[in-house]
Amino acid sequence: MRRGFLLLCAPAVLFTLVMIAFPFGYGFWMSLQKFDFTGAPQFIGSANYLRLMDDPRFWTGMRVTILLYVISLVSQLIIGTYLAVLLHSSKGLRNLVRTVIISPFIMPPVVVGMTWLVLLDPSIGAANYVLTKVGLPPSEWLASPQWVVPTIAMIDTWQWSPYIALIVLGGLQSLPVSVYEAAQIDGAPRRAVFWRITLPLLMPTIATAAILRSVDLLRFFDIIYITTQGGPGNASATLNIYGFRMGFEFFEFGYASALVITLSTVVLGSVLALTRLRNAVTW
Amino acid sequence: MLRFATVAIVIALSAQAHAAEFDWRKHEGETITLLKSNHPWPKAVLAYQDEFEKLTGIKLKLDTYQEQQMRQRLVTVLNSRSNEIDIYMSLPSREGPQFAKAGWYADLAPYLKSAPAEYEAGDLSKALMGAATFDGLVSTIPLNIEGPVMYYRTDVMKECGVDVPDSLEAMVDAAKALKECKPDMVPFSSRGLKPAMPYTYSVFFHNMGGQYVTSGKSTFCSDAGVKALSLYGDLLRDYGPPGVVNNSYTQITALYRAGRSIMSFGSSNEFGPVMEGGARLNDTKIDLLPPGAGGSRPTVIGWGIAISAFSDKKDAAWYFVQWATSPEMQARLALKGLAPPRSNVASTPEYKAWLEEVPLRKEWFDTIKRAAATGNSNIGFPIVANPQSREYIGQAANETMLGEKSAADACKAADVELQRLVDADG
Repeated sequence: MRRGFLLLCAPAVLFTLVMIAFPFGYGFWMSLQKFDFTGAPQFIGSANYLRLMDDPRFWTGMRVTILLYVISLVSQLIIGTYLAVLLHSSKGLRNLVRTVIISPFIMPPVVVGMTWLVLLDPSIGAANYVLTKVGLPPSEWLASPQWVVPTIAMIDTWQWSPYIALIVLGGLQSLPVSVYEAAQIDGAPRRAVFWRITLPLLMPTIATAAILRSVDLLRFFDIIYITTQGGPGNASATLNIYGFRMGFEFFEFGYASALVITLSTVVLGSVLALTRLRNAVTW
Repeated sequence: MLRFATVAIVIALSAQAHAAEFDWRKHEGETITLLKSNHPWPKAVLAYQDEFEKLTGIKLKLDTYQEQQMRQRLVTVLNSRSNEIDIYMSLPSREGPQFAKAGWYADLAPYLKSAPAEYEAGDLSKALMGAATFDGLVSTIPLNIEGPVMYYRTDVMKECGVDVPDSLEAMVDAAKALKECKPDMVPFSSRGLKPAMPYTYSVFFHNMGGQYVTSGKSTFCSDAGVKALSLYGDLLRDYGPPGVVNNSYTQITALYRAGRSIMSFGSSNEFGPVMEGGARLNDTKIDLLPPGAGGSRPTVIGWGIAISAFSDKKDAAWYFVQWATSPEMQARLALKGLAPPRSNVASTPEYKAWLEEVPLRKEWFDTIKRAAATGNSNIGFPIVANPQSREYIGQAANETMLGEKSAADACKAADVELQRLVDADG
């Protein structure tokens, strides 16, 4: 019986090992080599990892990755939850609005990036036109080292808050009605119902949404590559962008692998921490 | 020296090539794949793709990307020694040393040697052929000739009483006067996007008297280097378009064509797109960047077409290369605005008539000819890691443009990394 079970599982386990463990293992092996394709790979031990520690661009990349992650995730969770509550309370429009709000996250990243690039162009973009029309000074948006990360976070939030909203809406619809009935009988005000009942009960759903977005946000790439390529300077160069450029523009595959393995470790660590958090808030 | 000697030998031998009827149908039925970017050359030449397929019976498959994405695809394909790409576009001044060292170019010298006389291999630009030859290996055949040139709005400058600057230093005064006269327009625009800007910055650097490497040492931060960085950064920060650090050729072209910039330093290759619609045809002057303390040392480069070292169909691939870079084809492409890398093509009556038809076309072509006569292809450091050197040059320029660091400090920080690359180059 047990043997049959193992045999049945074997293909799936083998497939998973090949698809996950092999690329990771190969990437790790590559990260221990000096390889720029002009010669055979040369084993250099941990030299690439030691170089990371002394590389200011690595630390800039780490800072940008974390900053972008925090701003985007917090904004998306707040706005997504708010949208979900709005949708949940306006039942008549729910289907129509749900169809409309999913449109940003089904759009290809290239379309999203190019659209916002034009909208936010400091010379000809509509965003500055609107700002000046309402008496505000124009902004350099993606061209400002100070504003580039918040601007990219804004684009990502525009695209992915509806995704959070749909997940949270699903959670809202599955909450037990009896708790709300009890609150109504006790005369609890609506605000207290939201903060003391709805939100705590939604925490496992919100945590799940946070885990899903965290994986994407920590390896954020497409919108940045399309809009700024990591610039101005290195102001929006996340670890993923830096690793990609090192590998595919400068052909330092060993060092790029060390960057990517480090980033993968950060992603795995974050997902494990968030999974524990989700388990802690499950009711 | 070896490089020029090789080119000379190849050209001499090719001149003796047999004049027997060339068998265009020898590879009938084969399929070859071309990896290309969105450069104007493939757009122009592939309008005649049917002719090639009818002439040879070879089927041409296309794989198209943006320039940077094309390189990434190339790296993946060639690093895995895959035979799925037979022919690809390449910029020898950028990736040439790297690709040649990796063994990714098939040597085109034997093909040139056996090409028929009517191919006129000897007429291909010797400078560009030399720049594409690495330790005797001919990596690419030039497709065009291009370089950064100044586009001036003469009507606006006349209205403001500002002369076309005659020196690099005079550009600041001109930009300042234009800003005061036309506050709603952009006095000066040029590339600011980090990976793209060394193309334009290198002319400032060389004209100022700079040289990237001297006796194995980076001289990026020589007096001339710091002055050039400071001038480029100041001009774009104080008189450039908002958001200039994200600007590449597309934004510069769009701004100038729309009549929003007055002095624009862009690629000669953008002549067609800049003049689209005809609004700029009668109010523009085209010239080289004004000279600096180091004189006038323009940049001139040419895209090339290469055959993959891992192609199984190199001979059929050469048929496409020979057809696409033949004097007849380059003469047709010249009439579409691609500056030809062959002197004979440039002197045909049709091309001369095309140039004379619009005075600005002639000015444009004369400017390219002057660049070709006196220019160099040194965009970034002349080392294997040339693309990476461009990154550090761009970083220093970005920091100066944004006012984050002085030119001297930005230069010093970049120079540490640049020297590391020079040392690694051996």
